Amino acid sequence: MEIEEKQAEVIDHFVKQVSAQKGSALGSVFVEATSHPSLFAFSEILAVPTVAELEGTDNSVHLEMLRLFAHGTWSDYKRNSGKFPQLVPDQVLKLKQLTVLTLAETKKVLSYDQLMRELDVTNVRELEDFLINDCMYAGLVRGKLDQLQRYFEVQFAAGRDLRPGQLGSMIQTLSNWLATSDNLLVTIQDKIKWADTMSELDKKHRKELEDRVMEVKKAVSVKTASRPILTSKGSMKSTLNLVE
Amino acid sequence: MASSSSSGLTFKLHPLVIVNISDHYTRVKSQLNLPPSLTSTSSAATSNNNNNNSNGGENNQQKPPRVYGCVIGVQRGRTVEIFNSFELIYDPSTRSLDRSFLEKKQELYKKVFPHFYVLGWYSTGSDAQESDMHFHKALMDINESPLYVLLNPAINPAQKDLPVTIYESELHVIDGVPQLIFVRSSYTIETVEAERISVDHVAHLKPSGGSAATQLAAQLTGIHSAIKMLNSRIRVVHQYLVGMQKGDIPCESSLLRQVSSLLRRLPAIESEKFQDDLLMEYKDTLLITYLAMFTNCSSTMNELVDKFNTAYDRHSRRGGRTAFI
Repeated sequence: MEIEEKQAEVIDHFVKQVSAQKGSALGSVFVEATSHPSLFAFSEILAVPTVAELEGTDNSVHLEMLRLFAHGTWSDYKRNSGKFPQLVPDQVLKLKQLTVLTLAETKKVLSYDQLMRELDVTNVRELEDFLINDCMYAGLVRGKLDQLQRYFEVQFAAGRDLRPGQLGSMIQTLSNWLATSDNLLVTIQDKIKWADTMSELDKKHRKELEDRVMEVKKAVSVKTASRPILTSKGSMKSTLNLVE
Repeated sequence: MASSSSSGLTFKLHPLVIVNISDHYTRVKSQLNLPPSLTSTSSAATSNNNNNNSNGGENNQQKPPRVYGCVIGVQRGRTVEIFNSFELIYDPSTRSLDRSFLEKKQELYKKVFPHFYVLGWYSTGSDAQESDMHFHKALMDINESPLYVLLNPAINPAQKDLPVTIYESELHVIDGVPQLIFVRSSYTIETVEAERISVDHVAHLKPSGGSAATQLAAQLTGIHSAIKMLNSRIRVVHQYLVGMQKGDIPCESSLLRQVSSLLRRLPAIESEKFQDDLLMEYKDTLLITYLAMFTNCSSTMNELVDKFNTAYDRHSRRGGRTAFI
């Protein structure tokens, strides 16, 4: 979670700036914020009351843009590019990075084709450069690139800002996880008990056999004829080993 | 009298020291042979060797004995690393420290570990006391600022961390009089590979080890406790999120982001290749076990047949009447 630590100061700085200003000046602050190389979290800025006031005014485009950066992807931008102001190259880069994060949300294995489609990149070399330089070195994602099978396996991806409905699904996932681990604990307990009972039974069985052998040995020392004894000894030995 | 230290030294404690101190304490305590009901006659059965009684043994041995010793190690710059320890003879009633013994031990240790020197001393008990200051001052001629390592031998199942505290001495002005008082310092545990192996071994100790069932049970118990810990931590996060949803706890976005990135790592391994590999290994193990079983059975069968033959051949010597096979 080093990204969070890196971002914390930047977030504080921008929150202060945003709460100090109003109206159209906020627009330029937003542009600055969205082009900042290490800032990927915008929900704190969105939470500042002066920002919420922008809703419905002429400057709401800036608010929309900020929302796009908080929750949306590059394809959202392309589809509704009329609604948003023009983006500078820094912002374009950042939006693409955020797009990768969103894709990593749903699937762990991202195919190159899908990535190329989402990011508007035509060749594999460019895609890999983008992933390596801008996503992995920035600390946003960690994973393995498989060029032969053309997919990117994500092991870790930083979190994006939460949409209001996502909290519920996160809680659901956590409860599932809890339930699974509880069941697993119970299963392990049962297995331990099973192992113990089986070893108990085995020990008892062995002891019984040993006792029988002792009895028989005593009988041999009393009797002189030994013909039936050896076979029963042999059969006892075989039963001993068959029980494992 | 312990506040937090301000000297800026970082302490690293090796587990060998903790094991040594607790071993010393246990030896002394068991050699005293304390009966469950306290009598004063038991105090007579004390001290032939490095025994130390805190109250001279006159009254009842209700209080567990205190043991004293020296800790040695290395100090590099601001880092103090405590490697080893040994016992000392100290009588708190007369406040006499056996100097010759200490010096002899020091010499012996210097021969084996030339870099180590005396860093301080240790004792057992629940809290640092005033009388400890005398010992502390006595050691100050060997090391100008000795450490005091205190081990609390009371077993507290609710306690989660080690009952070991490290005190330093600082000169504080109290009521206009500069006095040395003990101040607590924090420490970290540092292990060498050998120490890690032995601590691991002790942690997994089962009373009657050996047979396959107990080994299986031991391993399963280990997994069980690990999962239990994971479970409790997930529960904490879950409750936190539920509280946030209900509105009891103010929303903190950075934490939420971290939790969401964590949840995205589940399921941890899901690919088809994993399933294939897992099944293959599982079947391999089963096959090998089966094969071993077969070999066992066939060898037993062989023995049985041999015995049978010997038994029956004895009674039909002539004629080559071969039974069985």
